[in-house]
Amino acid sequence: MASKYSDQANSRFGEIIITTLEGVPGKEIIEHFGLVQGSTIRAKHVGRDIMAGLKNLVGGELKGYTELLQEARKEAVERMLQQANFVGANAVVNVRFATSSVAQGAAELFAYGTAVKVQ
Amino acid sequence: MDLIFLVILLGVGYFVGSYLEKKHYQDIKKRERQTLHVPVVTFGAKQAIPHGNEAALFLGSVVVSADYFKMFASSLRNLVGGRVVVYESVLDRGRREAILRMKEQAISWGATQVVNVRLETSTVGSQSGGKGLAAIEVTAYGTGIR
Amino acid sequence: MVYKPKEIPEGVNVTSVHPLVNFAYLLGTVVVFSGLVYLGLGAIATQLATRISPELEAKIGRELISDIPHLDRESNSPKQQYLEELLTSLQKSNVNSYTPLTIYVQKSKISNAAILPGGHIIITTTLLEEAESENELAFVIAHELGHHIARDHLKGLGRSLVLLTVASVLGVGGGNANIVGITGSLTNLHYSRQQESTADLYALSAIVDYYGHGDASLDFFNRIQTKNKDKRGEFSAYFSTHPLTQKRINYLHQFAKKKGWKMKGEIKSLPNNIFD
Repeated sequence: MASKYSDQANSRFGEIIITTLEGVPGKEIIEHFGLVQGSTIRAKHVGRDIMAGLKNLVGGELKGYTELLQEARKEAVERMLQQANFVGANAVVNVRFATSSVAQGAAELFAYGTAVKVQ
Repeated sequence: MDLIFLVILLGVGYFVGSYLEKKHYQDIKKRERQTLHVPVVTFGAKQAIPHGNEAALFLGSVVVSADYFKMFASSLRNLVGGRVVVYESVLDRGRREAILRMKEQAISWGATQVVNVRLETSTVGSQSGGKGLAAIEVTAYGTGIR
Repeated sequence: MVYKPKEIPEGVNVTSVHPLVNFAYLLGTVVVFSGLVYLGLGAIATQLATRISPELEAKIGRELISDIPHLDRESNSPKQQYLEELLTSLQKSNVNSYTPLTIYVQKSKISNAAILPGGHIIITTTLLEEAESENELAFVIAHELGHHIARDHLKGLGRSLVLLTVASVLGVGGGNANIVGITGSLTNLHYSRQQESTADLYALSAIVDYYGHGDASLDFFNRIQTKNKDKRGEFSAYFSTHPLTQKRINYLHQFAKKKGWKMKGEIKSLPNNIFD
């Protein structure tokens, strides 16, 4: 089954199934390998800050930031999948995301889950 | 004069910081190997509950921050934008340390596995007046089963 | 479901770039970018200095003048009236100022004169006290007029001119004192030797037009020149903002000779009521 998750679109590990469930429906977990995690920290640049400041006047979506965080989250997922690939898993279940601001203007995007082998 | 002071601070931050980081990583790797036999998983309640007599909550936490060199590099990165490479190792270390602390507690209690693990990251306050890396707390918690 | 313990290799969540390489890249980018901004602002400032409209200049000038301390401009004081008359008569012979001019007296212990955007001429009380004849005072004022007409005062503001213009256009007042603070105090505008020389020539021709001769007009320069020779290292304020050399004075004399201007004539004394 090919994965549908958008962040996996151009991933090297497109075959790995990602779910937020405790398992993969219709499949049985035969092995598990413990926790896998992926994280990345991104800073926005001054130009984007200024544009976002202007946009703040009128409100609405901050496109620049949305894209930045999407791209970063994609990388976090990719890194998690890389770890899953290392241990020989074909699915990561019960995936959770966390975003936290670690420094002024910088945010950490973090994804973690359990690497499993399903049949 | 200020510049010399800055360079000294950067130098001290860089050399001491990377030495401590190296030591910490060695320590983490050693402990990870020791505790590898106990599984830590993020699923729990909806899976068939594993066989055991007792369950208890375990929590490991650590507050991390960066050295002067990393703060300076990240403040530059703030102008340029992009991946803040210098902080990655800080958070990686913090997270693994938190998981290890949780795991070690569980193991000393006699756990055979830790299930339904959740990880949290939160900013608990910042050094040097809002600039640079804030102090970050990483928490890992889950249910130990024996 | 069985547990298969497996070690995850390093370097997944930590990018393998040497911190110093990364640092060098960051520093380089920031330095190069700031350099570009600096150059860009400089280029824009030069363009602005020659193209700024009189209305906008007046607006900037109003904001700047409100930041200058110890200004005295009682319109009915004899001192003020005298200075305004002198300014008007100097202009008569050279009616080419593009904005109305105003003159201010600043209470200060240093001897200096300056021109701000918007045609605001500032003369310090000490300069007035030191002046021995109307001719030399007129020369100082005419020299500042020369800067005004050549728009040197705008060029002298340099990069802060861009910020001032933007602030004025957006109507953000108040913060201008800070903007000027970036490039130093207002009366510390620096002019190039070329700009000084042009202003000198302008001043001398205005003086000759008005009085019919250039006598005593260079007294002020001569006095400062000797003063600076006496006290080495302790330069007068006028000297620091208007770099003055014997060469400049000599050049003025030569120029006058070439033009056939009289450098001797009746010296007009200053009225007593300006030293109140």
